[in-house]
Amino acid sequence: MKSRVLLFISLSLVFFLTWSSIGWSQAPREEAETTAQHLATLLNVGRLIVDRNQTLINDPRKGDKGFTPEVFEHEVVNEFIRQTHMDLKHLPSHLPSLAKEVLPLLLQSSKEVVADAQLVINQRGIGYKNFIPATFGSQAARKFSNRSHVKIKQTALNPRNLKNTPDAYEETVLKRLATQPASNTPVTDWIDNETTLRALTPIYYSKDCLDCHGNPKGILDISGYPREGAQEGDLAGAISIQIPVESR
Amino acid sequence: MALYYRSSILSSMIVGGPIINVGSMIRGVRYGLKEYGSQGILVFLVVLGFFLQGCGLVFDAVELVQPLARDEMSAICSRGQLRVGISVEPFRPFVFPAVYTDEGVRVTGLDVELIREVADALTTYCGGQNPIVPTLHLTRFRDLFIEMNEGHLDLFVSSVGGNIPGARPVGLWFSIPYFHNGGIGAMIRTPEVAEKIRTKFQKQPGSPDTLAATQAGLAGLTVAAQRGRTSHLYAEANLKNIRLLLCDSLPAAIEMRDPPIDVIVSTHAILDYVTKHVWPDWRLLTRNDGTPLVLTQESFSIVTVEEHRRLQWFLNNLLYRLEESGRLEHMRRRWLEEDYAPTRRAATEGLPFEVSKVPEHYDQGQCRFATGR
Repeated sequence: MKSRVLLFISLSLVFFLTWSSIGWSQAPREEAETTAQHLATLLNVGRLIVDRNQTLINDPRKGDKGFTPEVFEHEVVNEFIRQTHMDLKHLPSHLPSLAKEVLPLLLQSSKEVVADAQLVINQRGIGYKNFIPATFGSQAARKFSNRSHVKIKQTALNPRNLKNTPDAYEETVLKRLATQPASNTPVTDWIDNETTLRALTPIYYSKDCLDCHGNPKGILDISGYPREGAQEGDLAGAISIQIPVESR
Repeated sequence: MALYYRSSILSSMIVGGPIINVGSMIRGVRYGLKEYGSQGILVFLVVLGFFLQGCGLVFDAVELVQPLARDEMSAICSRGQLRVGISVEPFRPFVFPAVYTDEGVRVTGLDVELIREVADALTTYCGGQNPIVPTLHLTRFRDLFIEMNEGHLDLFVSSVGGNIPGARPVGLWFSIPYFHNGGIGAMIRTPEVAEKIRTKFQKQPGSPDTLAATQAGLAGLTVAAQRGRTSHLYAEANLKNIRLLLCDSLPAAIEMRDPPIDVIVSTHAILDYVTKHVWPDWRLLTRNDGTPLVLTQESFSIVTVEEHRRLQWFLNNLLYRLEESGRLEHMRRRWLEEDYAPTRRAATEGLPFEVSKVPEHYDQGQCRFATGR
């Protein structure tokens, strides 16, 4: 009888430990994946707001454009609600704690980029100022990554900015994405012994992008880079996110 | 108590505080009067005199250990920064408007490349251990001279001509030129103005007199110049029969609609660039043979203060070496003759600047008629 009780206790202990370890490892993984998805959405929304205001930003006749960090934030919050049904100002309680920590940080970093660019944006008499979704995204991602253990980067197979050159993992995924039909679903993988999440959310060329990235291929665009000869819907690049779960 | 006063004076000397501490002296005199009467004051003054006499020696000793008044070159080396003023009004291709890049806000142009050269040479001069970082202060052109005189800058570079009468404010020093073909030119929007000038040149038999033909050709026209620039000085001195409009910047002159501007006078190299790349509606005013009309010669210099003798020699020697090696010529060709996108150059080689120092909500300004003409 005693041996049976001991066996039962031992099995229960093993079961409990196994279950709990699965539970403990599963939660941060889901949390990280959800967070990565929301971060990519937020950076994309910031890019979209810059794109929507491009005509205003590039208006040479206007001095003060009124495109302040607060106006930018307001538009980002509204667009984020539209896309995700989540209010960045009052994040829902069910959201992973990691997301609650990093989403406001990315919003703040994005606002700071718009604040830093005020001088350039508000120049009168100057048209194209190179404050575009790509340059905004690069800086917002860099500012955020400098303050967080989570890393965000814009990358592409042939990036104009060499700092956005893909690493081996990103290159493999980008090459795969380039041959697949367009999809907004992020590609996620757990690497380094399942301790780091890699997530790539693809970005595709819209009509507006083709002024600089379309045809005629090789001819310099307004910023001095050769046009890529891209078509609407082609893969432009990706937002790459790394979240190490054990370093938290 | 007397010992306390003695030590307080001594300590103020050692820590570099004010040598004559007025508060301590008054308290010392009061204490001497209260405690010892006039004899006390005498003793206090003797003690004070004794210490003041030694002040020179104390200073010499401190100077030996750590120089108190360093020269400007040592100051730059120890600071690790070169404080450079640059005009917020664009003078393309010398200073392009600030643009946003993947690295943040950047400014570029021939003058910015020259600043890089100066900073690199200073890095070598300072021992090469730590780079001398150029810290750009974007300031309104007219304020560069004030900032320089007030000691906020080590030098400034903004296509500044030093050989035009009235262009050198007192207290400032101009280097040997880094750009020689900076003559003053003119641009127009309507062909009628060009025709009027050409007619005046045709009327001149033999060798032409540019000044006389220009004075006659521009008479009665509305001519714009940037306030404080050498073109303004030229127009004030030589073009008496024009309606002179002074603008805060070249873009402000371009934007001006009421009154309509007939001619804009400015640096020829700048006008040559902007008529080709920025404002194609405007064209350079030319002579009858099609060559650009250049009203006077002007050369551009780096500016620093009169007292900075070591920095002046450093700049002159550097510019001479850059000219000798062909580097300056390469820079000039690169910015004035090559086909390029300034935005891309800003991204790869532009310099950041102190955003907080830029005039808030800078716009290109306004134009107003010159008064007192």
